[in-house]
Amino acid sequence: MWQNPHPSPNVPCSGRWMVYLVSAAFWLVFSTMPAWAHKVMIFAWVEGDTVYTQSKFSGGKKAKNATVLVYDEEGHQLLEGKTDEQGEFSFKVPKKTDLKIVLKASMGHMAEWKIPAEEIKGEAGPSTDAKTSRELPVPGNVSLSRQEVKALIDESLDRKLAPILNMLADSLDRGPSVSEVIGGVGYIFGLVGVALYFATRRKRK
Amino acid sequence: MHISEGVLSPGVLIAGAALTTAGVAVGLKGLDHEEIPSMGILSAAFFVASLVHVPIGPSSVHLILNGLLGLILGWKAFPAILVGLALHALLFQFGGITTLGVNTLNMALPAIICSYLFGWGVRTGTRQLIFTVTAFACGSCAVLISGMLVGFSLYLTGEAFLPAAKVVVAVHFPVMLIEGVLTAACALFLRRVKPELLEGQYVAKPSS
Repeated sequence: MWQNPHPSPNVPCSGRWMVYLVSAAFWLVFSTMPAWAHKVMIFAWVEGDTVYTQSKFSGGKKAKNATVLVYDEEGHQLLEGKTDEQGEFSFKVPKKTDLKIVLKASMGHMAEWKIPAEEIKGEAGPSTDAKTSRELPVPGNVSLSRQEVKALIDESLDRKLAPILNMLADSLDRGPSVSEVIGGVGYIFGLVGVALYFATRRKRK
Repeated sequence: MHISEGVLSPGVLIAGAALTTAGVAVGLKGLDHEEIPSMGILSAAFFVASLVHVPIGPSSVHLILNGLLGLILGWKAFPAILVGLALHALLFQFGGITTLGVNTLNMALPAIICSYLFGWGVRTGTRQLIFTVTAFACGSCAVLISGMLVGFSLYLTGEAFLPAAKVVVAVHFPVMLIEGVLTAACALFLRRVKPELLEGQYVAKPSS
């Protein structure tokens, strides 16, 4: 009943094997491509001694109440938390190491983000140092230590870069573009063409 | 509906891939060249439908249309869905390459189950009411079974089944309604303009 009413007569195997071979080759080529993001996205950045994360689904919806796991470079779990109503979660830097932040949303959605150790400053809050040094009565000749200057610059850079980081997070969230969708439909029609080519060649033989 | 990479255990991934391979083989067996264009069009419809997001619940859900594919294509829904999902994974990073097998199974198997369960009404239903109701049921049940299969896949990997399945099914309830209406509308439209598409695989066509 489910069989095709008139299956193609005497199918030669070579054409069909050709299709299998070509698709296997495609598979091999594409499977080596990096697949780094999925249906949920997490974006994390460091400000001072705090790591901020934002999580979203590809439709632009915030991933609320999803689990965030933080691992160090050896894969030990450092801490665990839940995103809030805005899909955000922040935590103090637990230690100076490469951090791997994994987001687990419901229904098998998962994403990760890596923060290299260089982006993380020492745990000792440099910003407080900077504040105290700024409040000191400044004599005519200002002499700040290298450390203090660095802390000051870092602090103001963090503040200035915050909107840019937010923008970056938003741009990462960009859904599929029109050209990609049209491209995908084109791929399917192309595949139909290839399949029809082999099917008619098969029939002619 | 698309399960991401790194969530499922290797055993589940391999089992899903094996079952999908079998399903695709059945779908491609004795494929007639006249059926290839309709497969392609439905595969494209499936590919685009998944981009229509319905913002509901704690997650994000989208249309699937697997009921419609099952209704029109039968077993050939397997290769059609596989192609659509492969492009999702490659172009949009929905799902993933390693989870392609499991995801295809989760969406294509319900399509076939529903076409067996409700296909009779669409094939033989001369009465408008039976035709519409079975087409609606086909569309919405396919989504329901898909949701349960996703929950089951997560359960096999160690997540508690009931909470996971409950979330998936509850979240997809509105989608079930939308899909049922869409499937019924498509089937009614096809019956008027191109009835052989609905019957093509069951009734012998005049030989070309």
